[in-house]
Amino acid sequence: MKRLVQSTIGLLLAGLASIASAATVNYTLYISAGSITVNGTGGTTMSAWGYSDVAGTTKVPGPLLTANEGDTVNITVVNNHNINHNFVAQGLTTDATAIAPGGNKVYTINLGSNSAGTYLYSDTLNSNINREMGMYGVLKVKPADGGNTAWTGGPAYTFDRVWVVSEMDKPRWNDVAGAGGTVNTGVYKPNYFLMNGKGGFDAMHDAATTVDGLLGQTALIRIVNAGQQSSSLHFHGNHFKVIKSNGVAQSAPYLEGDVINLPPMSTAEVTYYLNQLGDYPMHVHTAQQETANGVYLNGVATMIIMK
Amino acid sequence: MKFVKNASKTAILSAIATLGLAAAAQAATINQSVCVRSLNKTMSDGASVTFWGFTSNCGGMSSGLLPGPLVEVGVYPAGSGLTDTLNLTLNMAMAPQEQAPYNGHTIHLHGADVATAEDGVPETGAPVTGDTYTWTPKSNETGSYMYHCHVHTVKHLEMGMYGPMIGRPKNTAGVFLNQLTHDAATAYNYVQNYVLSTVDPAYHTATGDSTVFADYNPKYFLISGNEGKTTAAPAQTLAAGVNKKVALRLIGIHSVNGTFSVKDASGNAKPFTVYTHDGRALATPVTMTSLDVSPGQRYDILFTTPSTTGTWYPQVTYKNLRDGTALSTAYGRVTF
Ligand SMILES: [Cu+2]
Ligand SMILES: [Cu+2]
Repeated sequence: MKRLVQSTIGLLLAGLASIASAATVNYTLYISAGSITVNGTGGTTMSAWGYSDVAGTTKVPGPLLTANEGDTVNITVVNNHNINHNFVAQGLTTDATAIAPGGNKVYTINLGSNSAGTYLYSDTLNSNINREMGMYGVLKVKPADGGNTAWTGGPAYTFDRVWVVSEMDKPRWNDVAGAGGTVNTGVYKPNYFLMNGKGGFDAMHDAATTVDGLLGQTALIRIVNAGQQSSSLHFHGNHFKVIKSNGVAQSAPYLEGDVINLPPMSTAEVTYYLNQLGDYPMHVHTAQQETANGVYLNGVATMIIMK
Repeated sequence: MKFVKNASKTAILSAIATLGLAAAAQAATINQSVCVRSLNKTMSDGASVTFWGFTSNCGGMSSGLLPGPLVEVGVYPAGSGLTDTLNLTLNMAMAPQEQAPYNGHTIHLHGADVATAEDGVPETGAPVTGDTYTWTPKSNETGSYMYHCHVHTVKHLEMGMYGPMIGRPKNTAGVFLNQLTHDAATAYNYVQNYVLSTVDPAYHTATGDSTVFADYNPKYFLISGNEGKTTAAPAQTLAAGVNKKVALRLIGIHSVNGTFSVKDASGNAKPFTVYTHDGRALATPVTMTSLDVSPGQRYDILFTTPSTTGTWYPQVTYKNLRDGTALSTAYGRVTF
């Protein structure tokens, strides 16, 4: 009886919270051609295409979009590039038809119950070329109350991070597509491996990427693989818990690990408890993906700093 | 490779251990040293590839091992208050190495959540001229790990600088148990390490920040250092009995995708049960016939041999990172 009453109150509170916080959120994304720069030894500047919240600029990955469960999100996508593009938020939208050059389209997403999570948006056209050129990003959905739990009643966290891993094949894809040529998509030998659009030398010092916190805190790390290769991420310092895999909430006790493998276009949410003082790397365990054109550690890597 | 020859011998050993309990009930310190030595291996196509392997034999003329020697640390039951401590020393004398900035070597206890000073990462301060690395596993940390060099890993792992490290259950008397975890359901009669690795010979000759390291084209696909390209020439063999429990420790140090399975001579997949992942027991063991093992991951699995004699082939199909197409399969063999 007591349990019944409690859960009824819980439901009422959850209902109230979702009503209270429901909002309409508007975003505009501009598609354009530009470039991406990987800094440091082995780095380069190469052609890239991207979604950006600022017309005339290219961002790889595209801007982090955020909303709460219960919100209505309107995303206006403006194609300022000279070829067709689209916008698909995996698991949320289904319209994959093209937006012609100069055109635009509005995508409306009603974030229903149990929609809290991490979503990969990307351009699904042109045999992966558009995505490879940098057209991807993340929509982060928090629970209805906007609080720091992975979902309503889910694992709590102190702070979260979004990690977008991807690769680019500069000579065979970016140089060719960027010059308007025809990419031989049968051959893909990426030589740049990116963490949030950066080489490791930058990503290890990027405050939006590093897990940098105090002992006793818990980080929620939202990982998406926007690339075309599987990526195997190895955490030093502590084991993580896999709380969500490809949008599916796991149940406690959660799988623990120090390596998580993300196939192309997959997503995962892991919690990482900051348990001991020190500085630790997080890096891919797949040889070449640790490099920028062969230069060690300027690939998919960042730092875990526990203070 | 560790065999438990038969159940009765195990029973005798544990009976002896039980008798010795009062005197032996103390934690152990495991002091082990490894050196780095070259090793020239002739591959199946006749080509020779130079590796750098760890070895416990630090004589000047010794040869590296692929993979390196087994490191085992005891893990005691929860609540016992007992722990073993591993001190793994890297002796750098006469070690083959690269030029600066990737000179020297370290040891990273992969999967052991040790202090930064024990982590073996040069970029966070680890010396590359030799050191002792310490790990004291907790009661929930039974399972498979590995140790490997953490200098210029894109090359040094490829060169063969890795070995299996096991957090193996011990009873409170300090005797190793033939189990994967402290759950008696994980008891085995036989156990083998399946160390997964791949070899791109170009990575063995390239050095420094070469563009070679941007493009991985593995040519050889190994289980525990051997190719095992056919069931007739397996990488590793085990002579087991019928109706026995066989445990395999899958340790992934490869750089492509890998899928593990156990098949009979006709290619029928046999179920096995996964008990641990990355040195942590699964909340619920999972029985399956195919398991993806990705670079850096470890799984501990168990299967029971049938009641009639025969042969099964535990195997790893290495797969392309982009589309998962099969590159090659390496076979092991278990007869019973
Ligand atoms: Cu080394
Ligand atoms: Cu490792």
